[in-house]
Order: sequence, then C-alpha cells, then structure tokens
Amino acid sequence: MTNTFGYTGKILRVDLTTGKIWTDDTMKYKDFIGGEGMSMKIMWDEVPAGTHPFSPENKIIFGSGPLCGTGVPCSGRTNITSLLPSNPDHSVSSSHMGGYFSVEMKYAGWDLIVVEGKSAKPVWLRIEDDKVWLEDGRWVWGKGMFDAMAMISSQMGKEAQIAMIGPAGENQLNLSVIRTGASHSAGGHGGVMGSKNLKAIAIKGTGSVKVAARPEELMALDKYMMTIIGANNQHVVPRFPHPWAEYTASGSRWTAKKGLYWGAANPPVETGECYPEDMQSVGLRTHKGFQDLGAVAEKYTVSMGGCAHCPIRCHSQVRIPQLEERYGIDPNVSNTCVGYSGPNGIMFKGTPDLPGQEKGEQSMISKTLGSHLADDYGVWCNYGQMGRDLNWTYTHGILKKVLPADEYASISWDLLEKGDPAFLIDFYDRVANKKGELWHIADGSYWIDKRWNLGEEYWAYDKNKLWSKLGYPVHHANESQSQVGALVSCFSNRDAQNHSHSNFGAAGVPLELLKQVAAEEFGTPDAIDGPMDYTPMNQGKANFVKWALTRTMLHNSLTLCNWMWPMAFSPLKSRNYRGDTALEAKFYSLVTGIPMTKEDLDRAATRTFTLFRALTIRSMGTADMRNKHDQTTSWVITATKDKNGKEIPQFTKGTDRMTQEDMEKGRGLVYKAFGWDEKTGAPTKATLEALGMPEVAAELAAKGLLPA
Amino acid sequence: MDSKQNAADSGSKRSTSRRDFLKLAGAGFLGALATTTLGMGVMETADGRKVEVWALSSGAIVHDPNRCVGCRRCEAACTVRNDGKGSAFISRIKVSRNLQYGKLGVSAAYAKANGQMGNFLVVADTCRQCSHPACGMACPVGAITADPTTGARVVDVDRCVSCGACQDACPWGIATLDPETKVSTKCMLCDGDPNCTKNCPTGAIKFYPWEEAEALLFGTDATSGATAVSGASA
Repeated sequence: MTNTFGYTGKILRVDLTTGKIWTDDTMKYKDFIGGEGMSMKIMWDEVPAGTHPFSPENKIIFGSGPLCGTGVPCSGRTNITSLLPSNPDHSVSSSHMGGYFSVEMKYAGWDLIVVEGKSAKPVWLRIEDDKVWLEDGRWVWGKGMFDAMAMISSQMGKEAQIAMIGPAGENQLNLSVIRTGASHSAGGHGGVMGSKNLKAIAIKGTGSVKVAARPEELMALDKYMMTIIGANNQHVVPRFPHPWAEYTASGSRWTAKKGLYWGAANPPVETGECYPEDMQSVGLRTHKGFQDLGAVAEKYTVSMGGCAHCPIRCHSQVRIPQLEERYGIDPNVSNTCVGYSGPNGIMFKGTPDLPGQEKGEQSMISKTLGSHLADDYGVWCNYGQMGRDLNWTYTHGILKKVLPADEYASISWDLLEKGDPAFLIDFYDRVANKKGELWHIADGSYWIDKRWNLGEEYWAYDKNKLWSKLGYPVHHANESQSQVGALVSCFSNRDAQNHSHSNFGAAGVPLELLKQVAAEEFGTPDAIDGPMDYTPMNQGKANFVKWALTRTMLHNSLTLCNWMWPMAFSPLKSRNYRGDTALEAKFYSLVTGIPMTKEDLDRAATRTFTLFRALTIRSMGTADMRNKHDQTTSWVITATKDKNGKEIPQFTKGTDRMTQEDMEKGRGLVYKAFGWDEKTGAPTKATLEALGMPEVAAELAAKGLLPA
Repeated sequence: MDSKQNAADSGSKRSTSRRDFLKLAGAGFLGALATTTLGMGVMETADGRKVEVWALSSGAIVHDPNRCVGCRRCEAACTVRNDGKGSAFISRIKVSRNLQYGKLGVSAAYAKANGQMGNFLVVADTCRQCSHPACGMACPVGAITADPTTGARVVDVDRCVSCGACQDACPWGIATLDPETKVSTKCMLCDGDPNCTKNCPTGAIKFYPWEEAEALLFGTDATSGATAVSGASA
C-alpha cells in the first residue's frame, strides 16, 4: 500500500463461507475512480455471468469514493453494487443510500467492502478501524431494523454506523432494502445480504481521510461551492417570492419563506428568506416536511436531516403523536420523497381526512406510518411501483384469482377501501414475513407478471408507469426533458435514479437561460425543450443524455450525491445563474493530488459506464442491446389524448409522448456518442481498447458478444 | 436561541466558581496576569497559597441543538483546517458520537431519547475554554496554554508528549489524542475565526464573547470551571 490522499488505499474483503478476512489495494482500480466504478470492475473480474444474486458466489460491494469524508458538500452517499434479484437477467446494478455509513468506512480505513460467500449462521460484520471480525447475529436475526440497530449499537458503541437488513432482506425478498441510520435506504439488494446470512455491517472509525492540497485551498473551493449550491435537487430559484429573488418556480424545493417554520422545534425555527450569500441558512432552504407531507406537516416538523457533510437537508424529521396514540408506534419518523409516497402508494384508494382532522392530516399519518413500517421491515417499494402493482392486481381481480380463498378473505381489504392506514400494518407484516401468496407482490414487476400472468395490458397501461419490461418504472423519464429523460431511462437495469438531467431542467430559471446553459454544455440550445412542448431528437439531446449518464456514474464513484450534483446552475444573479460543471474535477484534484480536468473525469466515467454496459451484455447473453434491453413499454411511444378524446400528435404542444422512430434515432445518436456500435448499442472492440479495457473486449469476443 | 438543553444536558456543577476565584485572588490580579506571555501563571494568594490562574478566553463556541441538523460539516471544517484531513474522532467539536443516540447512548427508550434514532435532537459537545481548564492543569509539560491573542486554551504540538492526561482530565470529552499523530487536539478557536461556525448551514454554532458564552454554557450562575466531573458523559 502506498500513502494516498482522498483514498484510504485499502479494500476490505470478507468471505463469509470460510470466515477469511483480508485486505486488497484500492489503487489498482483507480482508473474507475471509486464507489460504483470500482465495484463494476470487481463484479466484471470476479462474478461470472449466470450467477444467481442469492448464491454464495455473488458478491456485494459497499463503495465510498475519494471525496467522501473530506467535507466536500453532499459527499456522504454509499454506493452498493451487486447482482440485482428483481432484474430478469439478474444483471449487475447499484443501489445507493445516504447517511453517514460511507464516511465511517473511510474513517475506519476502507474505500470499499466486498462481501462474498455465505455464513453457516446469521452473523454481523464488526469493523473497528483495522480490526475486523464476525459476530454472532442469531440474536438480532428476525428483528426489525430500529430495534436491531439499537441492539448492535449497545454492544458496539453509540457512534457506530450500521448498514442493515430487516426481515424482508432476511427472507430474500427481491424488493428489499439495505438501510443505514434513521431513514436512509438503498433499495434492491437487501436479499443479497439475507442470502449470505449477513444481518449487518457495523463500523467505527477513528482515522481520517487525508487531503493532498493545503487546507486553505480546499476551504476556498468549498466556500466557492457554497455560493453555487441551491436547494434540494439543486433547485436554484425559490418557490415563493423573496426580496432578493428575481424569479420564482412553482415546482421548486427551495420552499423556505418568512412565516414557514420547523414548527415542532422548541422554540420553532423559521426557515425565512435565506439569502443566497448567507451560508448559515443553506440548510433551511428546503423544508421537506412541507414539501413531502403537505402544509399540515409544518407544525409536526422537528427539524431536517440528511447525510454527512451535506448542507442541504432533504429528509424531514417529524413527530406525529397520532402514530403513537392510534397504533402504538414511535411518533418520530424521518424520510424523504418516495420514502414517504412509495409506502403510501399501497393506500391507492386514497386516505380521506376523518371528521375533525385537518386538511391532509390522514395522508400525513399514512405516509409516516408506511415509511416507518417499510423502514423497519426493510421492504423496497421499487420506486413506488409496489403500490401500483397492488392496485392493478387488486382492481383487476388478479389477487382474488391467485391467492387462496382463505388468504384473500383474511386480508383487511375493507381498511384499504375506506382509506384507513391501519391496512399498512397488516400488509407489511404479510409481505416482509413471506406469508401466503400475497408477498410475491415484492418479487418485482417482471417476476410478478411471470407468476400471476398479468398480460400485455398491464405493461401498456400508462398509469402503471412501467418504463421497461425489465420491470422497472419511470424515474425522471419522458416527462423530464423529453428524449433526454426517455433515453437516460433506457440504459439501466432498474429505475434510472438519474438526476443529472432532471435537476438541470428543473433548476427553476427561465427557459431562455436553460437553453443558454444547454448551448454551453451540449453544443446547442436545442438540447432543451419547454415542458410538454417537445421537438424531435437532435444531436444536442444525445450529448445531454451521455452527459447525464456519465455524470451520474461519476457521482456514484466519487461518491457525490446525484440528487444534488452536478452544479450546472447557481442561485446568483451576479453569475447570471451559471453554476460550475468542472467542480467535481476541481475537488478531485485538490483532495487526491491527482490532477484531473473535467474532460479527464468525463472520460473515466465513460469508461465505467461502458463497463457497466458490457456487464449487462454479458448477463443477458446478447450484444443486441437496442432490441433486447433498451426498449420502452408501449404507452411511452403511443399518442395520448386530450380531455375531449382527441389524439395529441407527438411533438406538438401538450404531450410528452415519444415515437418509436424518433427514439430509435435517439438510441443511435447516443450509441455513437459513446463510441458504441450504432446498430446494436454494444461497445466495440476498438472503443473498449481505447478506454483501456482490452480484457473486457477479449472476454466479450470469446463469448461472441462483440458487435460485428 | 435555546441552549438550555445543552447546558442541562452537560451539567453545570463545579467545585470552584469563577466568582469565588475572583474573591480569592483579588481585583488587581487579573491585570497582572494579562501581561504574562502564556496567559497563565502561578500566583500567591494573600494567605500564602499558590494557585494556578489563567487569562480568560475571549469567548467560546456554543452549539444550539434546536437548530442542529446533524450534518457534521463542522467536524470536517475543523479537521480540514487544522489537521489537513477529514475526521470525526479528532474534531474539536463533537457531533458524531451523539448524533444517533444522544450523549447518554443507547437505552431501551432510544425511540424517545435524544438523537436521530429518537427525538431528533442532536446535542454536540464543544470546548468551553474553561476559566480553570482541566486539560491545561493536567498537562505535565505545560503544553496547553492560553493563547496570548484569543485566550483559547491551545496545544503546543511540539511540546505535547502524547501522554493523554488532557484527554483523561477534560470533563467534556473534548481533548483527544489523534491516533495517527499521537498529538492532543482540542479547540483553539481557529485563531479567533472558528471554521466550524462558518460552515454550519443552519447557524446552530456560534462564537460568543466570554461573558455571554459563559452564561450560555454554564448557566446563569456562571460556573465555568472545569474541575467538576458530573454530567461530562451525560
């Protein structure tokens, strides 16, 4: 091992079958930057195609990046990479969680943790700096995560950071999470830990992450960054008028204003005017209780939470006494966005307020109850898809058909029908504990269709929001920057989780400014369309797609939060609202001492994204990505109708639908931008070799998976 | 701001109050002390006893749990500036260790207790720049002294012998031996411009002049000595 800056230089390796624990060298993977990139390389090298996600031969990799632990804004996320059980081909995919886990990894001296094999009995992995050993996990197996985290912390110490699975993960549900802290979940890989009999990884680190630059250099860059940062999702324009604000944007998550409080703080804390130059109010800009739970939640909001070293606090921390009064559960709940709405999607009949309740109160109760239950059991909502799948299978009589009659009769459907959140308590118990047949709702859409035979109409129904027959839903797709979001969503093996393009388009500045910045970044203002006012595919949009895909891969490798980064815009009129898309490279260079330009990092991310593509090709056993992987469901490319039943043609105002022909053109342009084969969308031998991956080209060639 | 929680959580008892000490030392005493280069010295009282006295700090950092969002930007700001690295363990303001389960740690009632796994209240430990600093008084080689400009109790890293006496003595758990350098770290107020306060995104950390800081940290009875032990780990 050499002395390193940014990187700790060490990868922790654990074989649960043999109990062997050893150390590997990070820097041999440095071309892949860190986190997700390095994990992709390890998966390529070590986990052969055809491996089942729940077999001991699968590996699960917890990754941090070189910026993590140095205080760079929004650098607290943990990347988790493994084979994905909900994917039809069990392709490699990544899940991500916020919190403080990856920072603790770094402070304990580890860039990555790679776990393989299967323990004979439940265990948890204990890491105290360079001392690493396995602990008996039988006494915490089967426990909900809130209690189990406290149980492990009581032995390990209150400062331990823990990544854990709940009963859903233990029971190897495809849709299960790995969680850390009070509210940070990575959806999709909980069952992989469960299959290994690994309840948790708990870490304490007393070390550090060294910075190559002089302290004042990093401090100056950090200060500069803090003038560019906006609110959650890098929205740089506030929702409400402020004395300083030239613009407002109705969809903005910059929700602070005079008179809006964290109402359950003592005394209440006013969010206020939050002048962009005031660094001491950046964390007040985003009131997530108000945003996610409605105006009713203001007085229940204690404070905001979030991740290590992030000034933007995007998790609301609320105290809902009704949860304790009605259901006897902990009234303190924290979560964000789909962490609330996803579990509440199970209540698809709605949750009307009861007499005497405030407007939206029942919905707030339902969201927080669902969030708490899903977080305790460790059930993943598949980015909101589980609720829509329950809706479809219930409403179309499928559940009545496939569930045994006594099981169906035992389910409290009457509570669902009348909108009583108590239904969630029954539902999550059945699903997480694999009771009866209903739990297969957590197989994920592709596998549910296979088991319950849902048919083409299930995939074609637009309100089901299924994006791909690989079984994943819309996550900032065609509704988000036209073909850009649509194409970005075609390259993943799960919901795209890409915010590079969606944050760009939703920054809040006027369309003209968006177009100016698009011209600077992507070569033409035509890379951007107005909302529901789309133009046909063009080269600028293809450049935008490549930028979004590679930047997100870069962020998951550095590790920076892609829910905030990249910094394409700023709230400063004095900068003409320009951000700085070279900030990643500036931070990387200062922290690691390895000089990198924006172009250098973009190239490294292109390498990693191309490797991810190769992994998908290998797991699917075909190079024909265009036809076998990158297609959408049919509703996406079908014209929609206006309220009078009249068809709205694509590329006219009022529709966000795509056409097949235009999407095919878009695929070809994106393939070309990556240097991949335009016909199949597979990386060519020349491109793989130019990116420094001849071994990948050789293996694909040997398997007949290189394009002709 | 509401710092009652902080003060209550950490306890305010001590064996010798500053007011008591002033009575003991006499009025002209502090003026003489201010002229000493190390900001401290040993003086003889009227009845012939020798006592160690310190110039007061110019002020101290006070943390407001009610506004704290637990981001730990203060910790990284502290150690990047002062140590050239990111670290929670040696940060001179301690948030991480209380973040999840409060100062008291895990209990069966964790869901209602302080911390993000409970009621969301995050109570940091900060250096109080005690008027009668246990760290400095415990140091066997005089490596901790009052900075002539800021009055902060600072560690002379060249004189530190890595014995850990300051760490053992500090009732607030601030002084910490860096496991990598084996040198003591404690809050030195960043030469009068504390980097943690500048990097707090909610204004939860502020630097207050001594009289205000003393009242906020030790309660209105202004008991600012550090020789008490109760409440240090509460």
